[in-house]
Amino acid sequence: MKKTLFPPPSKPAAKASALTRRGLMMGAAAGGMGAALRPAAAQADEAMPPAPDPMSDAANPAMHVSYPFYRSAGGPRAQAGIATPPQRYTMFMSFDLSTQDPRVLQVLLARWSAAIGLLMQGETVGAVEPSRPEARGLDTGEALDLGPAGLTVTIGFGPGLFRPELGLSAHRPALLEDLPVLPSDAFSPIFTGGDLSLQACAEDPQVAYHAIRDLARIAKRTGAAVTRWTQMGFGRASAGKGQVTPRNLFGFRDGTRNLREQTEFDRYVWVNDGPDWQRGGSYQVVRKIEMRIENWDNDQISDQNAVFGRHKASGAPLTGTAEFDTPDFHKTGPDGAFVIPDNAHIRMMSHEMNDGVRILRRSYNYTDGLDPVGRLDAGLLFVSYQNDPAHFIRLQRKMGTADALGEYVSHIGSGIFFTPPAPREGSYIGAEMFA
Amino acid sequence: MLRSNTSRIWGPQTALALTLVCATGAAADPAPITNGVSQIAVTLTGENGGACVLDHDSAKAGPVTFTVTNTSAPAISELELQSDNRILGEKENLAPGLPASKFTVTLDGGSYQIYCPNAAQDTVAFTVTGTAKRASGSTADLLKEGTQGYAKYVDGTVDAMLVATKRLQAAIDAGDLETAQADYAKARPFYERIESDVEGFVLPGFAPTDNAGNLDYLIDMRASNLDPDIGWHGFHAIERDLFQRQSIGSDTQKRAAELTANVTKLDALAKGLHYAPEDLANGAAGLLEEVQSGKITGEEEAFSHIDLVDFAANIEGAQQAFAFLEPGMMQIDPDLTRTINARFATVEGMLKDYRDPKALGGYVTYTPERRKADARKLSQAIQSLQEPLAQIAEKVATAG
Repeated sequence: MKKTLFPPPSKPAAKASALTRRGLMMGAAAGGMGAALRPAAAQADEAMPPAPDPMSDAANPAMHVSYPFYRSAGGPRAQAGIATPPQRYTMFMSFDLSTQDPRVLQVLLARWSAAIGLLMQGETVGAVEPSRPEARGLDTGEALDLGPAGLTVTIGFGPGLFRPELGLSAHRPALLEDLPVLPSDAFSPIFTGGDLSLQACAEDPQVAYHAIRDLARIAKRTGAAVTRWTQMGFGRASAGKGQVTPRNLFGFRDGTRNLREQTEFDRYVWVNDGPDWQRGGSYQVVRKIEMRIENWDNDQISDQNAVFGRHKASGAPLTGTAEFDTPDFHKTGPDGAFVIPDNAHIRMMSHEMNDGVRILRRSYNYTDGLDPVGRLDAGLLFVSYQNDPAHFIRLQRKMGTADALGEYVSHIGSGIFFTPPAPREGSYIGAEMFA
Repeated sequence: MLRSNTSRIWGPQTALALTLVCATGAAADPAPITNGVSQIAVTLTGENGGACVLDHDSAKAGPVTFTVTNTSAPAISELELQSDNRILGEKENLAPGLPASKFTVTLDGGSYQIYCPNAAQDTVAFTVTGTAKRASGSTADLLKEGTQGYAKYVDGTVDAMLVATKRLQAAIDAGDLETAQADYAKARPFYERIESDVEGFVLPGFAPTDNAGNLDYLIDMRASNLDPDIGWHGFHAIERDLFQRQSIGSDTQKRAAELTANVTKLDALAKGLHYAPEDLANGAAGLLEEVQSGKITGEEEAFSHIDLVDFAANIEGAQQAFAFLEPGMMQIDPDLTRTINARFATVEGMLKDYRDPKALGGYVTYTPERRKADARKLSQAIQSLQEPLAQIAEKVATAG
């Protein structure tokens, strides 16, 4: 029995016996970016084993979902893991380059791409138990038999990758540079930066962890990169299309007004200019945001609602009755003050109050246990994608100065990366830089 | 043609592969020769579950260059040329989209196999006709010479350890704390250079699980792993007396005499040991594990803080073991050999910064502050050496 760090996702046991892995995977291929959650009773495989334990991983349809890594003709250009409906768990890791040789980096990107292509199909990276007694299997094995579990791994390039010593300066995406110092930055150096990033997301934490572990081994084996910082996350804290809006660790729904439609992604997320190899890419901002959990938990409910500008249980804006009601930022109460206060989080971050600026949020909750003085050490691994980092910067300048939520959070980690488009089969991410 | 030579011993896998090759009608004409070198193009494709396709399945005896291109097989990252399951040459890091890579070997007439792990059809037959003279000894011969050289290195190291231990004992018997501390630091590196070769020794008459007869326990046990039935013996018990208690007592003298006796036993047992090539490879990998688990953390020398002395000795021992395999490894996988050499050079370069001729053992003290500042950097460099080094045991164990 595998160990799960967090409560396992709910399992629709009634449907389980009607599912076959093959049917689901074929469904995924046909459905492109869409999840392949369709009962496969009609295509039940004759060789199907007896119905599994309804509480087992095998009976959980989410474990059988797979997404394509490679770009297909006419398919989306972007890497998976951005527009993909957020999976339940993430494992993020950033790396420092440890080579000055562009060929070594080239090998790393090609081997990472090949390995990710396998992992996203639920396959191992080579044999787990090689036949030769002296062999050391590359794949560490802990995800064997768990299935693809909706795994996506998204590769990001940090500003430091485009260094002159590697001869890559000319390829730097136009807007990729270190984030400026922003109000309320309180970084710990052990949670910042990186020349490369890997964002693994999956419906199972062990599958996400395993992917990063294998890929970190490849980084060390090629000698191209060494680990820098990492964060595991759970309880997807940003809604994707068709998903019930999840909650962050403040107990509030997060992502009610997130980007969902293709037209919105085209306008706000994907890079549409520059060299061809960058089009369909995006800028990834990662922030480790610590929450002052104890203070928050002891704040009165009316104040909590005022901090967000929403009702805690329903998610409705304070000016409405249902979650998706459009907030009325002009409505005033009997005292003449705005019903959604001046410094409420949803007002400060709304596109109405930011000249239409919007970003895709794809965050996860995290916990690191207890801090040195015995407080719950937890927060949000904030991940956003945008076609211009200035959009994040604009929002964060407000967040760090005037947002009521600022009293309860501290940005302790940060990184910025460019996520190039997905490669075609037979190629790898970033290949165009080495052509 | 030797292709139908059935008198050779084929593994079932190989026999199956040969059948498949015949069935699919691979080209039977010998490879073209350019500048006296036969040229074979190998393509790795993702079709049919992954395949390893040769443009010619035979060549004339002599030098043969294999040019390997991975067009679309993400699962195939390496290729080996084998003869009866012995590796003659190989290429790694063969991911789709990378430029073609080559390796050249001189082959005598006979049957060979191209082995591509993780391909659906992972073994493809390859035939060489005629005879060729090999300029140097076989890879197996080179590796064997290496193991003999390494055995002498181990013998010499244990001899030197005995001399250094006796010197330490003399200083302790004389009650000279300062000299004893210096001699402790001088004695330590010998064991650390070869500990992965000698740590399995059990004295005659003792069960393998009885620490009373386990020489590694008696010589090198740290405070954190004591067996209460046996008590604390060896270097680190002496280290505690010399560096924490800072006094030499009759108990210290007893420990020093006992250490000399046990090292004398070790010296006798180490004499005449024979090593297989994979023993050197696994030993080197084991020494790096020691660095990672004991030295980076500062656990090994908890009282004297000469962890960097042990660190350097572990690296030196691993580097020596690798150096004795290097001539053979250069024939099997020159790229990997160069990579490992470069990583050793990185680690050695890093260690140079810590040298201090005035310090005990020649390296600066590994204080908690230094550990906090530098452990990450040191560990990362070791990790980047561990991964490729751990790959060589399999190669040398199966080298032809």
